[in-house]
Amino acid sequence: MRVLIIEDEEKTADYLHRGLTEQGYTVDRARDGVEGLHLALESDYAVIVLDVMLPGLDGFGVLRALRARKQTPVIMLTARERVEDRIRGLRDGADDYLGKPFSFLELVARLQALTRRSGGHEPVQVSIADLWIDLISRKATRAGTRLDLTAKEFSLLSVLARRQGEILSKTAIAEMVWDINFDSDANVVEVAIKRLRAKLDGPFDEKLLHTIRGMGYVLESRGVQ
Amino acid sequence: MSSNSIALRLSGMFTLVALLVFLLIGGALYQQVDKGLGLLPEAELDARYSVLESALNRYGTPEHWVKINAKLKLLGEEDKRIRFWVVSGNPGYEFGEPDALIRAFAQGPLGMRDLQLPDHPYPLKVLLTELPAKDQRPPLRFMIGIDTETFHQTQHQLLIALVSLAVIGVLLASALGYWVARIGLKPLIKLSHEAQRLAPPLRAGRLRLSPLPPELEQFVDSFNSTLERVEQAYSRLESFNADVAHELRSPLTNLIGQTQVALTRGRSAEHYFEVLQSNLEELERLRSIINDMLFLASADQGSKATKLTSTSLADEVATTLEYLDFILEDAQVQVRVSGDAQVQIEIAHLRRALINLLSNAVQHTAPGQVIEVQIAVEEHQVSIGVANPGSPIASEHLPRLFERFYRVDASRSNSGNNHGLGLAIVKAIALMHGGDVFVRSDRGMNTFGIHLPV
Repeated sequence: MRVLIIEDEEKTADYLHRGLTEQGYTVDRARDGVEGLHLALESDYAVIVLDVMLPGLDGFGVLRALRARKQTPVIMLTARERVEDRIRGLRDGADDYLGKPFSFLELVARLQALTRRSGGHEPVQVSIADLWIDLISRKATRAGTRLDLTAKEFSLLSVLARRQGEILSKTAIAEMVWDINFDSDANVVEVAIKRLRAKLDGPFDEKLLHTIRGMGYVLESRGVQ
Repeated sequence: MSSNSIALRLSGMFTLVALLVFLLIGGALYQQVDKGLGLLPEAELDARYSVLESALNRYGTPEHWVKINAKLKLLGEEDKRIRFWVVSGNPGYEFGEPDALIRAFAQGPLGMRDLQLPDHPYPLKVLLTELPAKDQRPPLRFMIGIDTETFHQTQHQLLIALVSLAVIGVLLASALGYWVARIGLKPLIKLSHEAQRLAPPLRAGRLRLSPLPPELEQFVDSFNSTLERVEQAYSRLESFNADVAHELRSPLTNLIGQTQVALTRGRSAEHYFEVLQSNLEELERLRSIINDMLFLASADQGSKATKLTSTSLADEVATTLEYLDFILEDAQVQVRVSGDAQVQIEIAHLRRALINLLSNAVQHTAPGQVIEVQIAVEEHQVSIGVANPGSPIASEHLPRLFERFYRVDASRSNSGNNHGLGLAIVKAIALMHGGDVFVRSDRGMNTFGIHLPV
């Protein structure tokens, strides 16, 4: 899947390029608005990551010129945390918006949301190692034993299981499980993960729920360590 | 001096007032005198006629009439303003060589009339009477006229005198008015000199002037209390800046130090991994502080909640409690909710405020105890208070608990999600909705809450 990054900040563009390439995207880069608009109009991209503050033609200019010809999904990046920017960006046809500083995981999640093919089948059952989850009847077993999970614990497990092998940030988990999309004083996700882990991994040798420090959590089979 | 100088404006107003007064008095005076002057010629004619009347009526023979003519001639020479005419069918009785104009006039109605002679600028005032026939004398028309030129000249001089007096008076009033205003404004000028001395960095400076005129006392009082508030806000800002720097400094110290230590010599891949993860944690902390600061800054700049939805507070509290469920269970704390109210609010903001209020309460509640959430509808507002049992908070801390980074215990540091901005964010959210926050500590309960306008 081809992604175009229009960003003049060298470091940002570098790590986005590397990170997204490793996520399996084919990445093109443009250092200013004019070059970016040219590339965006010439080639077909699955999604465009567009910085607002660009030399020459700024992000809004690029977006307007692009929208006159194409409907490629666009995620805008900006360091100006102003509501006006947000509104202006979305009215001009940006599909999503991220304020700096943003986490790379969040950007990846947004990219996936924008490029996800519609009509894709949501799995009804997931199995990881000896864990088996029925997403319809909301049951989970491990090595044949039924896990006794509360409703929220099951929601948490199913969010992680649907994206097995993928690192989910606390923010993303809070949004998907509790519909809370802002930082707050409460470390609810940590506590919930601790509880889920006790029931899911506690009695078993192979641990499935892993913490990636500073990033979030991932559900995957890594074998017995 | 600028055009809105108070002294200039005052003297301008004095001038206007003087002009108005002179116009009124001068106008009235002129009217009065004019009326008097208008009556003078008539009175004089009446007087002259009444002296002549008996002589005119008594004699009817031509011999006597010669005497009367001589008398009239004498009178006309004595006073050039006075003219006499006698008009009759018999030329022997006529006087004053009446021409056609006079004869025509004499045939008009009797009484006091104006007669415009061709070589006179002003009309003559004329008393026309009829003398009945007597002895051999036929009826006569007797005219006595007076030239009004002198009266008109007097009137004109009066007008000139009044106007020049008024001009002088107005000029004098404006000059004196300016002088008086300068004297009257002296305390104000002194005050502004005093205020000039208050330039920064003298933040503690206040206006000190005594004795003050009562009109200025109130101004000085409110000016001083504004200075007081500015000083407080300024020192809060200073300590806030220091707090921000401090909050950012410790994660930065960790980041720089750890990275330097890691780079001083070759390390194993695990070690680099470890350092990067630890760095990421610190960076997340920085990100969270910066995002909160940006949120507070946008509230400070007066940004208002826009996506308002009508919602039930009790429902939102229930949703928030569901989110905090695990935390409450871990802390072994129960929450009791009472009351409900419908408010117009941006739901994400409300939830954020509720989460911060409730987690603050949970942190300060002992296991087994109950937190009370009270929603109350008051006159023009709705209040939602989160009360937790806990040791009383000293009253000097109460008003400052919603300040950024304010801690009752200065040595206590926060870790994890809580970096001392939670309650400040609650306050910002309340302000964004046109509400405010409140806090009280009594009877073993500490209550933090927000007021929202209905």
